[in-house]
Amino acid sequence: MNGTPLILGASLLAALASAGCGGEREPDALRLALETEPSTLDPAFAVDYSSGLVSSLIHGTLVAFEPDGTLAGQIASRWTVSDDGLEYVFIIGGARFSDGTPVTARGAARSLMRLLDPSTASPRWWVLEPVRGAASFHAGKAPMRDGIEAADDTTLIIRLERPASHLPSLLAMPAAGIVPAGIADSLGRGYGRAPVGSGPWRLASWAAGDEIVLERNPFAERPPRLERILMRVIPEPMTRIAEFEVGNLDLLEVPVAEIGLWRSAGPELLSGLELRVGYIGLNTEKAPLDDRRVRRALNMAVDVDAIIEHVLFGAARRADGVVPPPLRRGPPPPRPYRFDPAAAAALLAEAGYPEGFAMEIWQRENPEAGRVLEAVQGYLGAVGVEARIVTREWSAFKEAVDRGTPDAFYLDWFADYPDPENFLVPLFHSSNRGGGGNRSRYADRRVDSLLDAAAALSDPDRRWLLYREAEEIVTGDAPWIFLWFPVRHQVVSSRLAGYRMPVIFNGQRFTEAELR
Amino acid sequence: MIRFVARRILTIAPILFGVVTVTFLVMQVLPGDPVLALVGERYDEATLARLRTELGLDKPLAVRYLDYLGRVARLDLGRSFVTGRPVAESIAERFPRTALLAGSAMLIAVVFGVLAGGLASRGRHPWTGRLLMGITLVGVSIPVFWLGLLLIHLFALRLGLLPPSGYGGGSLRYLILPAVTLSFASMASIARVTRSGFLDAAGEDFVRTARAKGLGDGTVLGKHVLRNALIPVVTIVGTDFGSYLGGSVLTESIFGWPGLGRLIVQSILRRDFPVIQGAVLFTAALFVIVNLAVDISYGIIDPRIRSAGGGG
Repeated sequence: MNGTPLILGASLLAALASAGCGGEREPDALRLALETEPSTLDPAFAVDYSSGLVSSLIHGTLVAFEPDGTLAGQIASRWTVSDDGLEYVFIIGGARFSDGTPVTARGAARSLMRLLDPSTASPRWWVLEPVRGAASFHAGKAPMRDGIEAADDTTLIIRLERPASHLPSLLAMPAAGIVPAGIADSLGRGYGRAPVGSGPWRLASWAAGDEIVLERNPFAERPPRLERILMRVIPEPMTRIAEFEVGNLDLLEVPVAEIGLWRSAGPELLSGLELRVGYIGLNTEKAPLDDRRVRRALNMAVDVDAIIEHVLFGAARRADGVVPPPLRRGPPPPRPYRFDPAAAAALLAEAGYPEGFAMEIWQRENPEAGRVLEAVQGYLGAVGVEARIVTREWSAFKEAVDRGTPDAFYLDWFADYPDPENFLVPLFHSSNRGGGGNRSRYADRRVDSLLDAAAALSDPDRRWLLYREAEEIVTGDAPWIFLWFPVRHQVVSSRLAGYRMPVIFNGQRFTEAELR
Repeated sequence: MIRFVARRILTIAPILFGVVTVTFLVMQVLPGDPVLALVGERYDEATLARLRTELGLDKPLAVRYLDYLGRVARLDLGRSFVTGRPVAESIAERFPRTALLAGSAMLIAVVFGVLAGGLASRGRHPWTGRLLMGITLVGVSIPVFWLGLLLIHLFALRLGLLPPSGYGGGSLRYLILPAVTLSFASMASIARVTRSGFLDAAGEDFVRTARAKGLGDGTVLGKHVLRNALIPVVTIVGTDFGSYLGGSVLTESIFGWPGLGRLIVQSILRRDFPVIQGAVLFTAALFVIVNLAVDISYGIIDPRIRSAGGGG
């Protein structure tokens, strides 16, 4: 036997072993994985999940979400609302930007004006849409007068066009992050890679496509306990799992298909309902889906519980409506649709489709979506509805859905802020048809007026009654096949303490996180 | 030789012009609006229109095409729609990492491929040969994705020898797994062509002549057999290395390697036209240059190709 391969193999192993020893473990750094790299850290342009998440660790907002979804002052130490709900007064405390300069009411006003300014061209200007004069200022029709005003260095007044009790929630969104407007203006688009915020963390380094390092903002009012956060971009879920298992990550988002592996993980497994709803949108403007009976029949034809159990491994709760349970005030609504293929077929016959019909359901490229829709396809086939699944990647999918091309589409909606308004208004108010969020192109006058009336109320219980009523009409009209509220699973490393899984993605800023 | 090289170089310009034109047109035909990738899940039409104007997407196609040609001619690849960064800067940042990975993978493939092929061609140990060829058959058919995960599982999770993923500033221990993964298919095909090259060459008249002249085993192998067996190896190196330099999407994704391949895929998903066009043009140019080098090296290894005028 020739000895060459053996020698080669042995020397390779030796090289591996010597190269492999000693991993770097920074004692005071939290290690996280990002699925995608942020495209920018400029609050005005952060629209994707990663950008919003990292940007909100760096930029303070006037008010901010706690892990449980409640609002607390961040840059503003407190705020008051006038009785008519039209004037909000924010008292700015002692926040400082990470370069040491104080955040003043004037500075905060300039930052918010930058978001609205048509020349900024922020896609998220709508966060300030309820502010008096904001829409016409943004459209370039009129100068901004008294909508956003700094009375002095510590008093910021925001006046509204009409009452909007969810304004503080809007101001807690990443887009409303306060930037030093002078620096942001001089850097232009470059600000997105050199942000200066008053949040708990500041950007230490950013190696493109690889790793973002945040360090404690020395001027933060509530300084984090840890020194640094290392965020590595790891696109592949199996690789993220491997990194967690070898101890290179402190937090892991568990993919649905892998939950079984972690069920026995004990205290290190966290789970909770997400503020997210999964649905199959039905284009209410296209025949035969413009017929309410047909849409209701489709809801009865699909056994959602079975799909949750077998395709999602139980990691979701059946959606009996639109608003996720954590945001409801009161008991869950009665189940609107029961799985009943015979009743569905009868209803289809009544609507004039005894033989069923053919339709397309669009999905974006995603293995889970594929499995879900194949199941749905089977159920629909059983009542004579021939569903053809059309797969497109995200950009093409979104373009088609927003223009109302597909008959139906599988999609989900994530909350921007924990408020029923953020589900019902974008998803079903007729003014938001298409790109505004209402992709089933649903329109109902009663729903519109209920939603408008609710926005004007400040008492959460009275608002909820109106939202509940609107939701009931929507579920009855069935612009969707109602699917589920997903359950999110995370595992934390045994050394991480002081972490709570947040209700809303920007509700956790890792200030209390510690490493044992 | 000089005329041969000059003629090859002259063909580069029209190829690159074709690449620029085709990528530009494909971007326009592709479904998916680039401004939609910039606005998130909730937006209004006015914002779309404003962004379209800002990015120059409201101009007629011909104007945009001529603009782009003019800028490319001045070596200006423009700025990313999404990040606003100069495209050339992103490429300059990513390319060295991709080159490192591609170069290491190619090195592994050539060294181990030629060794394995050479060993397998020696008739003295038929079982070694069959075993090696069996392994290479697995090598050419194994999906990169699966191989990558397998290696992570074995070397990172089970043995704890290497980090599962990451770039680690380019250090060796981060490089090994992705480089081996990427090299595998090339290594296997190199081994196979080396083996048949060796076997063919060994039967040639000039080898018999060389042996008859009384040359030693080593000289015959090194000077006569290897040289002839190398031509197909160089062809494989040329095409594989050229495509590796364009970024290897799967390997880069599995190992979280921040190279050119992931930049291109991410840009395609976001419809970031300037980055896609710039990166495709850059990799096409590289591919052409590597192939040119391969053509030239044929001439050096085998003078017959040079004198025939190098029609291929």
